[in-house]
Amino acid sequence: MSALSRVLNSPRARLAAGILLAIVLIALPLVSAPFANQTITRIVVFAVAVLGLNVVMGYAGQVSLGQVFFVGVGAYAAGITIKSEWGMSLGLGGVVMGLVLAILIPGVLGLVIALAAARLRGLGLALVTIALPIIGVPLAKRLSDITGGSQGMSVRVFAAPDWTGLDNDQWQYYVVLALGAAVFALVFFLVRGKYGRAFAIVKENEAVASAMGISPYRYKVLAFTIASAVGGVAGFLYIVAIQFVSPDVMSFGHSIELVIATIVGGAGSIVGSLLGGAFYVLIPQITNSIYPESTTVVQGVIILIVLFLLPGGLASLPRKLARRFRRSAPSRTAGPTTPGAVPPAGEAEDTERQGQR
Amino acid sequence: MTLLELTDVTAFYGPVQVLEGVSLSVPVGGAVGILGANGAGKTTTLRAVSGTVRAGGRIVFDGTDIRGSRPEQVAAMGIAHVPEGRGTLGQLTVRENLLVGAYLRKDRKAIEQDIEYCLDLFPNLRARVRSNASALSGGEQQMLAVSRAFMAKPRLLLLDEASLGLAPSTAKTVYQAIERLRRESGIAMLVVEQNANLAFSIVDSATVLETGRNVLTGTSAELKGMDEIRKAYLGA
Amino acid sequence: MFNFGTFLQLIVDGLATGSIYAALALAIVLVNQATGMINFAQGGMAVLAAYLGMTVGNLVSPVAGVTLGIIAGIVAALALSYAMGAVVERFVMRRFMGGDPDTAVVATIGLLTLITGLIGLIWTYNYIPYPFFFTGLESMSLGGLAVSAWSLTTFLTIVAIMLLLQALFRWTKLGLGFRAVADNRASSALSGIKVGRMLQVGWGLAAMLGAIAGVLVAAKIQLVPDMFDTYLVYALAAVIIGGLDSPLGAVLAAWGIAVVENLAAAYVPFVGHDLKIAVPLILMVVLLVLRPQGLFGRKVVVRV
Repeated sequence: MSALSRVLNSPRARLAAGILLAIVLIALPLVSAPFANQTITRIVVFAVAVLGLNVVMGYAGQVSLGQVFFVGVGAYAAGITIKSEWGMSLGLGGVVMGLVLAILIPGVLGLVIALAAARLRGLGLALVTIALPIIGVPLAKRLSDITGGSQGMSVRVFAAPDWTGLDNDQWQYYVVLALGAAVFALVFFLVRGKYGRAFAIVKENEAVASAMGISPYRYKVLAFTIASAVGGVAGFLYIVAIQFVSPDVMSFGHSIELVIATIVGGAGSIVGSLLGGAFYVLIPQITNSIYPESTTVVQGVIILIVLFLLPGGLASLPRKLARRFRRSAPSRTAGPTTPGAVPPAGEAEDTERQGQR
Repeated sequence: MTLLELTDVTAFYGPVQVLEGVSLSVPVGGAVGILGANGAGKTTTLRAVSGTVRAGGRIVFDGTDIRGSRPEQVAAMGIAHVPEGRGTLGQLTVRENLLVGAYLRKDRKAIEQDIEYCLDLFPNLRARVRSNASALSGGEQQMLAVSRAFMAKPRLLLLDEASLGLAPSTAKTVYQAIERLRRESGIAMLVVEQNANLAFSIVDSATVLETGRNVLTGTSAELKGMDEIRKAYLGA
Repeated sequence: MFNFGTFLQLIVDGLATGSIYAALALAIVLVNQATGMINFAQGGMAVLAAYLGMTVGNLVSPVAGVTLGIIAGIVAALALSYAMGAVVERFVMRRFMGGDPDTAVVATIGLLTLITGLIGLIWTYNYIPYPFFFTGLESMSLGGLAVSAWSLTTFLTIVAIMLLLQALFRWTKLGLGFRAVADNRASSALSGIKVGRMLQVGWGLAAMLGAIAGVLVAAKIQLVPDMFDTYLVYALAAVIIGGLDSPLGAVLAAWGIAVVENLAAAYVPFVGHDLKIAVPLILMVVLLVLRPQGLFGRKVVVRV
């Protein structure tokens, strides 16, 4: 390993970079334009959504197409609570209740769905989760009394309080950033610890996990529930940032876009979740200003390129570049692997796999 | 006349080297055995020949270098591989399995005759000819696998651990049929077997592998006479 | 008030719509049998084929007349979709075979996105009429029921397809080779079967099935890039309910789903036209919980 990569990878360097980033993030809104602040705020919102999806897809290895459903449910739960008579009467307490319900309701829903669906092979879960946005959208439209129907529901309660001296967009930025950072920290410690290790084993090989006394079913349910709760938080943050929610939030199209964003960012990676959130927000923003019809094509092209060339997503780019520089040094090459030839039974761990690591 | 010649064949599974230089040769119509303990590289050697695993070194079949060819191409040249685990097509019937064996052939009438021959060679199969292969017992599946390979009318048959998982009497029956097959058709054979007794019942010579290379080669008579072989493989 | 005539009408309409689900479901089963993957882009590929058919048809009609134009369009849709399927298998999906199946699924999702985007880019997101022999509106009276020419054609087409596929797989050498590859790829290669070729055939045939569905739907409701998004979900539900490895099961399930959904929309007050899609999806979930291998599927044996 070269001296440069050694420096870049050291924990101290990473900590320094983290602190630098934090300082930049905290100082930024005070100097930048409202539009930039709003964009970054939205990026954090969807980074949290992607983070939730990562828990179930990246860490536990289950494809879920239902994450936007939980985001939507969280947003609606928060919005309805805050705007209700009871919520309004509580003032700030109403907002807190909104957050609590934005976590609880999606979380409970996620738990119930996972209890039923986690027994299925990965594909079964994908198919069950695909049902969520598909049913969610017409349901939200139908229950217009509480959801505002297809017009959506606006929730304008996040004006900056006077004592802060901030503008609205700056206040929203800080609220979202603070909550988002808290969620990221929580999840970070979760996947660092024994749960994260258990997830990894379940993802790698369920039979091995059972043999070790780790119940794949239990951990899949756990992962899915966490994902849905985190999605709910993202929904709350969505309300803070955008002050509006409509059934379109949970559409099939957005569901797919979120999955794509997760993989492009880097499945199973904290940094990848941030990159995924950025991808989700920035790509449409960029393409809409240059060539609106091309948004979908661009997303499709990028995800395919990532899958072919960079399966670990953008988060794995530094690692891959570092390896490329290391490879230019002469080393003993292992013999050819077996592309094209079919791997013999039992040798699966040695074949080239397009897995998410 | 040498039909198959392996010279210093190497093979890797990923970064792990499994064959470090295996050499052997099979004469036309001859039968050679590959013996050795688990993990010695016996199965890998067959896979190298059939193209299932990418290998280094030289593998020459009937004058043509086949190293690096894909399994479909190797099969088309006249080598039939009965793999470890038999590879029976469970969702297809016994008859359909045999037809798959003859996939590359076009002589309809001869194919039917050969199916008859197989059912004659292995009467157990005749009773099950319309059953799905997955319903067959282990021994019957082995018989089916051998028959399927024969249906290709190969010049060389690669047999991988034909006795694996079979009761001793069943294994013996299978090998007796293989011996009869060899006698009546003159197909050359390369036989991987852990049970050396069974192997010696059909092969003229053998090579012993240990950690991916040859350690002993000789005719059946010579090997059977050696103390090491007797102790290690023949239980004497 | 229960009207038997209406009841029958709902069933008839269900069978027709269900035939579309069935065509897509068959395509998905076919691809799954050949390559072990679920192709989320199956619907998207079908839509692209329909658009291409329309374009060809519109090119030919002014020159050779409307009927020939329509036929040319259908032929083009079928041929181009086969090519598309084979190409996608060879250059995209082959890369992900044998690896993590979820990655393959995401790849097909990416493909779906790309295809939908391309269609929107080339042909815009507006509705475009598809020239066909008839639209979805003309109907005739069969025993007191209004049966549209479209419904009849669609239903008969899927039945004919099923019979053709059955014949192909049971009685032809190609079908035998395909089934062998679906059963055990490595072992089939040892018998000389060109596995790659078979996989391309599988994907190509599946794409053609999708194209047929695409053309039929387009004839009824006009072309729009995301028209098969919902149909895909129905098809997946049918595949799950029928069992991933049972073509017949998928078709029966597809018909069943469409009929039940129609009946629920009509007779259960809360379920209206917009929520009727919830019915098959909930059925699917319930069934999966009780019987993960579907109604007709084999119990999956996990080889450790």
